[in-house]
Amino acid sequence: MTVLETRADGDRRGPGGAEPVLRLRGISKSFGAVAALGGVDLDVRAGEVVAVVGDNGAGKSTLVKVLSGVHPPDAGTIERDGRQVQLGSPADARRLGIATVFQDLALCENLDVTANLFLGQELRPWALDDVGMEVRSWTLLRELSARLPTLGVPVSSLSGGQRQTVAIARTLLGDPRVIVLDEPTAALGVAQTAEVLNLVERLRDNGLAVIVISHNMEDVRAVADRICVLRLGRNNGDFAVDDVTNEQLVAAITGADDNAVSRRAERRAGAAPAAGAEPTTSPSTTTDQEVTP
Amino acid sequence: MSQEVREPVATTGTSAGAGTDAGTEAAVRLQRELANEPQGIGDVVRGTIRRARGGDLGVLPVVGGIVVIWVVFQLTNRSFLSSTNLINLTIDLVPVGVIALGIVCVLLVGEIDLSVGSMSGVSAAVLGTVFIRWELPLVLGVLAALAAGALVGWIYAQAYNRLGVPSFVITLAGLLGLLGVQLWVLTGRDGYNLGFDSPIVRFTSLAFVPAWLAYALVVVAVAASLGLGLAGSRARRAHDLPAVSTQWLLLRSAVLLLALAFAVYYLSLKRGVPWLFVCFIGLVLAMQYLLTRTRFGRNLYAVGGNTEAARRAGIDVRKVYTSAFVLCSSLAALGGILAASRLGAATQDTGTGDVNLNAIAAAVIGGTSLFGGRGTAISALLGILVIGSISSGLTLQQLDSSYRFMITGAVLLLAVALDSVARRSRQASGRG
Repeated sequence: MTVLETRADGDRRGPGGAEPVLRLRGISKSFGAVAALGGVDLDVRAGEVVAVVGDNGAGKSTLVKVLSGVHPPDAGTIERDGRQVQLGSPADARRLGIATVFQDLALCENLDVTANLFLGQELRPWALDDVGMEVRSWTLLRELSARLPTLGVPVSSLSGGQRQTVAIARTLLGDPRVIVLDEPTAALGVAQTAEVLNLVERLRDNGLAVIVISHNMEDVRAVADRICVLRLGRNNGDFAVDDVTNEQLVAAITGADDNAVSRRAERRAGAAPAAGAEPTTSPSTTTDQEVTP
Repeated sequence: MSQEVREPVATTGTSAGAGTDAGTEAAVRLQRELANEPQGIGDVVRGTIRRARGGDLGVLPVVGGIVVIWVVFQLTNRSFLSSTNLINLTIDLVPVGVIALGIVCVLLVGEIDLSVGSMSGVSAAVLGTVFIRWELPLVLGVLAALAAGALVGWIYAQAYNRLGVPSFVITLAGLLGLLGVQLWVLTGRDGYNLGFDSPIVRFTSLAFVPAWLAYALVVVAVAASLGLGLAGSRARRAHDLPAVSTQWLLLRSAVLLLALAFAVYYLSLKRGVPWLFVCFIGLVLAMQYLLTRTRFGRNLYAVGGNTEAARRAGIDVRKVYTSAFVLCSSLAALGGILAASRLGAATQDTGTGDVNLNAIAAAVIGGTSLFGGRGTAISALLGILVIGSISSGLTLQQLDSSYRFMITGAVLLLAVALDSVARRSRQASGRG
């Protein structure tokens, strides 16, 4: 009965093994004279979490919009299960089983959880099947092991993490293969972030392909199998999460080994050698960089 | 108390046996038992208090308001709560009440229609022209008036959807424009006498439900509501969902039965329950069903709550706006027909004066938010009871209409202030 569990195939975490569910090749997108994406490649397999990271203006948001069908790409090919497809509209994306949770979540705060989950696809339009919808909602939330005390309260009374849960659960109604999460932890506190990361892992364990767009490096390292770095609209490295250090990631994101983050780390290491160990790079420091070309 | 709702315990848990279905099941069931859904009578009362504290006042303030108003007027004039006066009240409030129902629709999507008064005037003028001047069948006159309403609503919707003009401005233009249309349709005369023997006039002023039928209707209505409630809560229990207790449903039905039976008894001391009022109640219930039990109604709430979210969920937002405007103008047209019938004539004055703001005030006083996404059809009924009572009471005092305007204005301001304060308190307690 559970949609997700039937999807779980044996080869979940082998990035090298299975055929990608979604394969992007040479995706380009320009807005006027500005090339937001210039030939980006991206593979994601079932049961895999791929994080897409990059600095501001690296093309992450544009990539999300391409994946969700909001902006059709100018050039490049998209394959779903090895078959070339067109992503010309949000309806195309839905039909191909690519679901996107945007950063603003797009929930109606005045409606309760069930109404939000089934918005636009209510059962029995002229005599709403509340019981049926609520039962299905509980099933969905149980698949995500998400615990909401009740579904009868307006979404405005939920915490940020719970809202994220509702937004993700809603995409599961459409029976997707690929879920794109745009900055899922951006506005959340520590505990709620952990909640959402658990949720991402559960999606992966249920056999979905998950793409997480984020600029929070700690969250990315905590949950992703692979990290794909974008820089100035191009691929700038694709790392297995276990084989990459923070310095390497920062270097890939900023495009230079010698950058504000590494210099700062060196300075701190030099100033306090006793503290030693691994220099902690905080992602927030990447914003005040002076990138040396 | 409200703390439990806002900060429910850990929502995701790796602890409670992620793989074992039994463990999860039990945990979820426990969660549901802890859930603050109304279960027994005590829970219902506690739930209401909790919601009221969170700024979700429901119908409490307006019901309290009606009681206060009735007591005050009864103390100042012994005939206020007489059967005769209440019968007149129930008839007089219907035309504006019907208009207020339409206002609820546009307010739900976060828009406004300021031209409902003029619209009702145009509708009355159209009815008079078709029925009296052209001597066509009454049905054609009514249909023509309703069609005029639908057309005006459709034009508003086009201006809103295609040109992006704020509804405030569109309908303000409509207020003036339709007033002109009304005068133009009535060019050269003061109005049309609909004739006191025409069926529609007899229906609005002289048709009363026989006492036995009124009692039967009350019994049927209460039995139906109880039956639906019981069936609903049985279906929920069968699926392990929290449900309202049978005890509470029975108590509610008993109270409802007694209240309605007493109302019928009291009105039947004189002429009885007006058919017009019974039909209005039926319309309110139909609208309530439309709003709460159909996808159409859900879409109205969704668009009023978060237009962008509704759009992304695949709802045709333009269509929702169109239906809201059309519904509002059509109900305004129906209100105009009823107002003209009540008066026995469609005149240049039909729909002018305080009709417009009384309709909007009724919806807001009843608890429909001016900010969109919150409101019920019942709010139009309760709100118009307040407005109608004030108007009737002040008329009995033989006070000038200047006082009536001032007092109604103050009540409207009070209601909107209450709405704004409640909204702020909802936001503070995270209930949007």
